Amino acid sequence: MMKKCVDRAIFLTAFAGVACLASGCAMQPPQAWEKGNLARKEMTMDADPLDQAFTQHIYFSKESASGGYGVGGGGCGCN
Amino acid sequence: MAWAAAAVAVTKPAPGPKRPGAITLAALALPGVMVATARAENAPDEGVVTVKLQAYKDSQPGLERIKVIAPSVHLLLPIAGAWSVEATAVQDNISGASPRWHTSISGASRMEDRRTAADVKLTRYFDRAAVALRYSYSNENDYRSNAMALDARFSSADNNTTFAAGLATSRDTINPVNELVINERKEVSEGMIGVTQALSKNDLAQVNLTHVRGRGYFNDPYKLVDQRPRSKNQTIALVRWNHFFEGNSTTLRSSYRFYNDSFGVQAHTAVVEWVVPLSERFVITPSTRYYTQRKASFYFDPVYDPEIGEPYPAGYSLSPPKHYSADARLSSYGAFTVGSKFEWRIDKLWSVDLKYEFYQQRSSWRPGGGGSPGLATFSAQFAQIGISRRF
Amino acid sequence: MDLKLTEHSSYRTRASSVAATIGLAMLALASAPVHALNVGNTAPAFSLASNRGKLDSASLKGKLVYVDFWASWCVPCKQSFPWMNEMQAKYGDRGLHVLAINVDAKAADAEKFLTQVPAKFQVAFDSSGETPRQFAVKSMPSSYLIDSSGRVVYVHTGFRESDKNSIEAAIVAALEKMKKR
Repeated sequence: MMKKCVDRAIFLTAFAGVACLASGCAMQPPQAWEKGNLARKEMTMDADPLDQAFTQHIYFSKESASGGYGVGGGGCGCN
Repeated sequence: MAWAAAAVAVTKPAPGPKRPGAITLAALALPGVMVATARAENAPDEGVVTVKLQAYKDSQPGLERIKVIAPSVHLLLPIAGAWSVEATAVQDNISGASPRWHTSISGASRMEDRRTAADVKLTRYFDRAAVALRYSYSNENDYRSNAMALDARFSSADNNTTFAAGLATSRDTINPVNELVINERKEVSEGMIGVTQALSKNDLAQVNLTHVRGRGYFNDPYKLVDQRPRSKNQTIALVRWNHFFEGNSTTLRSSYRFYNDSFGVQAHTAVVEWVVPLSERFVITPSTRYYTQRKASFYFDPVYDPEIGEPYPAGYSLSPPKHYSADARLSSYGAFTVGSKFEWRIDKLWSVDLKYEFYQQRSSWRPGGGGSPGLATFSAQFAQIGISRRF
Repeated sequence: MDLKLTEHSSYRTRASSVAATIGLAMLALASAPVHALNVGNTAPAFSLASNRGKLDSASLKGKLVYVDFWASWCVPCKQSFPWMNEMQAKYGDRGLHVLAINVDAKAADAEKFLTQVPAKFQVAFDSSGETPRQFAVKSMPSSYLIDSSGRVVYVHTGFRESDKNSIEAAIVAALEKMKKR
């Protein structure tokens, strides 16, 4: 069961890779001076700690699955 | 989480805490649920203090269940240019009733409790990297938890790729008021690795892989019939994608999480949020979430033993199964959340936010029709109001 | 070695893994820097609009130019501006010319930043991305000291409180060298 999901994940990543090749990598990782939009608060992965903590707390209490969220990072060219 | 479940034992009419709740704070301490506030590897340039009031209420047809009021405070402080300290404190005030097995209304009784939790995180920033140490503590009258976490992140030369790794461990002590068990323990360790990639000037994606190993007491001592394994291993894969639309300056945030554990539970979570700036000061973010899980292998449907009766599982009188649970949270179901967050940036220093969400769990929402039978629909509402000041 | 995994490992999974690796490699290559601007290289020429009218890099010959690439969204830039004001005031009559080149895609964002963080030096605007590309800017902010003959003598990335002294020392050293000529 787990192996099927891993297979699916590998396939999707591969698909993205092939799509990138085919389209001539239309999605270009940004240059340092192009990161203005990535610096916006809403573009970070974890912007409101109390909100996220409370929400995950609720889901942890009412559902069986939990966790998986990790440290945010990247996106800003500022040193 | 105290108010997560459980009911008071019949024998002792204590203000029974519910289900070992501090596990949630322990979970919060683990990298899996850790929330980072400083972006990338930059030390924050300003401090922020936030106070929030969070409220929660759940119910099922015919029974108002748990109510929670939780004031909380969060502080982020940059120190000496290369450090930051972050602290959070929350107090859950819980009251209400919960079924003691499945969604049975009979036998559910009132309870009241208060859980206090706090955590501190210290981060050191380097040129393109950061290391953080975090300690968390939670206490209520039947559950105490201590947890520590260490995480590190470092970026590639062009700052477009960030690698993250984290380790955490928690030690919990459980002493239910009904004295079903005395000084029980639970130890959980967790490891996580992740990659965040700037795919374009408008796209940021993240993949995280987490593995958790837990040993100790996982039963809910307030449920009349609950006997779970003494170990629980979990594997979680999370993919997140943020896309910025230059045309209208809106942002689409989406995520998918796959969860699998040794209890037999497998779950999928999909979340989509759309951040829409209404003007320079007002932002509205509608969101929706779909969650579905497959039941734990030892969960049993509300079909009871003909000899002993409710709530014992069928066959119990002949030979009790090794593990069993009538906890509806371990059943097969699907759930939807819809909500919206509204933010008002008053000026450079102050901002206010308000969020409301409606949640419902139904066996019929399990894809393929495999939802657990005999359980009432579960609904909940949660809201938050907060105020922040930068300094 | 898990034999079962090898047995069931489908051709599809293997092909997928290879394709994924190639795809990621392509992405990595796409972001590889085109070139670098090092100490000793000649600084690229440019012609931009500025807060003091049209600016031609040729007109800067003879001065010690401190070129700083900044943006409204760049957090350390808020700290660098007051320091650059200080540098311009302190060494302006010795030949230092601070030039801050803004790279915001939207001019309005740059204007807003300047009303909150005033600049007492020359500010130029390039929303096309051409000038930072020519200067091989790797991260924001980036600064370059260009001597009177148009050669790069110092390159610095980022801006921290602890950087102030070392950059100032480089400016002083370059001014001394200029005097000797």
